[in-house]
Amino acid sequence: MPELRKDPVVGRWVIIATERARRPGNIVDSSENTFNGGGSHCPFCHNKEKVIYTAKNDKHPDWSVLVVPSGAPTLKPQSHSSRTGHGLYDVINGYGAHEVIIETPEHIANMADLDVEQIQQVLNTYVVRINDLKKDPNLQYALSYKNHGWGAGGRRIGHSRSQIVATPVNPLRVKEKLIGAKKYFDYHERCVYCDLINQEKEFKKRIIFETEHFIAMTPFAARFLFEIWVLPKKHDCDFSEGVVGFEEDLARILKDLLLKIKIGLNDPAYNYVIHSAPFRREHDKKLQWKTIHEDYHWHMEIMPRLTRVAGFEKGTGFYICPVPPENMAEFLREVEIYG
Amino acid sequence: MAELRRDPVVGRWVIVNTDDSLHPPDFEKEEHVFRQADVCQFCYGRERHTPPEVDVIRPSNTPANTAGWSVRVIPNKFPALRIEGELNKRGLGIFDISNGVGAHEVVIETPEHFKKFADLSEAEMLNVIKKYQSRFISLSGDRRFKYIMIFKNYGESAGASMEHAHSQIIALPMVPKYVLEELEGAQQYFNFRGRCIFCDIIYQEYQDQDRIITENTDFIAFCPFVPRFPFECWILPRKHTSQFGSLNEEEQHHLANLLREVLSRIKISLSDPSYNFYIHLAPVNQGNPGSYHWHIEIVPNLTRVAGFEWGTGFYIVRTAPHVAAKYLREAKI
Repeated sequence: MPELRKDPVVGRWVIIATERARRPGNIVDSSENTFNGGGSHCPFCHNKEKVIYTAKNDKHPDWSVLVVPSGAPTLKPQSHSSRTGHGLYDVINGYGAHEVIIETPEHIANMADLDVEQIQQVLNTYVVRINDLKKDPNLQYALSYKNHGWGAGGRRIGHSRSQIVATPVNPLRVKEKLIGAKKYFDYHERCVYCDLINQEKEFKKRIIFETEHFIAMTPFAARFLFEIWVLPKKHDCDFSEGVVGFEEDLARILKDLLLKIKIGLNDPAYNYVIHSAPFRREHDKKLQWKTIHEDYHWHMEIMPRLTRVAGFEKGTGFYICPVPPENMAEFLREVEIYG
Repeated sequence: MAELRRDPVVGRWVIVNTDDSLHPPDFEKEEHVFRQADVCQFCYGRERHTPPEVDVIRPSNTPANTAGWSVRVIPNKFPALRIEGELNKRGLGIFDISNGVGAHEVVIETPEHFKKFADLSEAEMLNVIKKYQSRFISLSGDRRFKYIMIFKNYGESAGASMEHAHSQIIALPMVPKYVLEELEGAQQYFNFRGRCIFCDIIYQEYQDQDRIITENTDFIAFCPFVPRFPFECWILPRKHTSQFGSLNEEEQHHLANLLREVLSRIKISLSDPSYNFYIHLAPVNQGNPGSYHWHIEIVPNLTRVAGFEWGTGFYIVRTAPHVAAKYLREAKI
C-alpha cells in the first residue's frame, strides 16, 4: 500500500510508493548530462574580468575560488530598488545580485571530485559573499545553490561552480518554511528541525551517516528519489553564522554524499540549496520573525535529478516519490566511496 | 532588465525578463519519436492488456474492452494511489501519515497511436472534455476524496512515459498544497474586497490587452502577468464559476475549441514542445469554495527547473508574457 506522508515543516503531502517501483520509463538517462564545453573554450578556466572575490591557497596561489558576476544575471545591483503597482499586480525593478562561484581553477566537472580543502574554501566563500550582500539594506535573502549537469538546469560546461542570488523579497518557499517552523515553535516552544533530528536519531533508518556536527538523512516526506537533507546538530537559524568553525566537517560530509550520488546513482545531474534565515536587521525585530533565532534551523537539501517533474507535481505541489526514503538511505549507506 | 512581479493570488514573487526576452528559436528543440506502436496497450486490439475501462465513448454495438471506442478511461496499471481501503490517518512522533488511498485513471484521448493531442478534431477534443467532466462527477461521489486532479504530460521531457495521446486523473484524499495556496489567496482577496480575484485578473487582462492570446463567448486564454515558465498560458471561464461539473454542452464545446486552439498555437510557435497542463478545480466534498474560479494552466516545457527555483519557489522567466502572447496570437493555424 502506498503511503501519504506530510512534511512536518511546510505541511506538504507526498505520496511514497512503498512497493518496488514498477512504473516504466520514468528514470532519466544520465547520458543527457554529458559535458561538452571545456578546455581552451571554458569561460570558467579563463574568466578574469570583474572579479568580485578571490580566495587562494597553497596549491593554487593565483586563485583557488573565484566569484564573478553571472554572465546572464537575472537580477543586478542598481541605483535603487523601486516598488510600483500595475492594476492589481505588484512590481519591483530587478534589483538584486547574481554571482557565480567558480569552485576550482582546474577544469573539473563535479564538486564530488574536488578535495575536502577545496570544498571547504567554497563554503567559506559563500559565507564571505553572504556577509557582504547582507550589508545592502535593500536585500532580504540570499540563496546559495548549485545546478550540476544539464538535467539540473546547468549548462554543459564541465567546470564545477555554484551560484548565489540575493533578492529584495523573501521567496515563497522560504517563507512557508519560516512560517511552518514558527508555528511549530509557537505551539511547542521547540525548534521543529531539532525535534526532527532527535526523532531521526532514534529511528535510525533514514540516516545516511552522521559526523560530530552534522547529520545526513533522507527526509520522511521526500519529494524526489534520493533527496537528501544535511542538518547541523548545533541549532542556528543562519548558515553564514552557524557554519563558522564547522566548515571542514561540512565539506567532508558534502564530498562523501556527492561521491555516493556519483558512484551509486550513475553520475546524475543534481541540485543543492542552502536554506538559511533571511537577513535580520535591527529595525525588523518587532516584526513577524522575532523568534527566528530560536525557531528556524539552517540546512542543506541535495536533489539528484533522476526523474522528470511532470504536470501533476508542477500543478499541485503534490509529489510522488517512487521509493521509500528508508530504502534510499539504506542504499546510500551501502555505496562504497573509498577504495 | 528584469522585473520582480508578485502573483496576486498566492503571493509568489517571480523574476521576469522584460527587455531581452528569449524568443521561440532560442529554446532547445525536442524530437517526439514514436517507437512503441506495435506493442502499445492504448491501441485498438490490446484492450484486454489494460485494466477494464471505467468510462468510454464507443458505438453501442461494440462490447466493452474491445476496439471501436473513441475515448477510453481506464485505471492506471501502475497507480500512485490505491482505490481500496480506508485512509487510517495516524501520527509517528512529529510526522503525519495515512494510507495511500485514491484513484489514478488514464484517459486515452484517441485510438490513433500517431495522433498528437493538439491535432485532435473538434469533435474528438469535445469527447475528451466530456470524459474529464463525467469522471470528475463520478469520482466526486466518493466521500473519501477531497480533490480531483486532471492533468496531461505531453512528451518525454514533460514526464510522459507512454507516447500514445493520453491524460491522467488522480483523486486525492486531501487538497494539494499549491491548490490550497490558491484557495486561501482567493478567499483572502474575497474577504477583503468582496470580489473574485480571478475575475479581477480577467478584467485587468482586458484592460492591458497585450497578454491575451484568444477568446470565445465563454472562455479567455492569456499569458499571465506573473508566469512561472516561459509561454505559460491560462484558460479561464469568463463568467465566475467554481463548478467544473456544471459545464453545459455549449460551454464544453467552447472549452474544447479554445484548448485545441491554444495547444495548436503552442505547437506551431514553439516547434511542438513537450508540455504539461493541469486543471485547477475547487476541492470536492468539503463545502463550496465559491470564491474560487477554476481554470486550466498550460506549461510548455522549454527550460529546466534549476536549484534556485526548487529552493525558493522564486521562478526566473526569460520570456515576458506579452512577448509570448504576441507569438501565440500571430501563429498561423
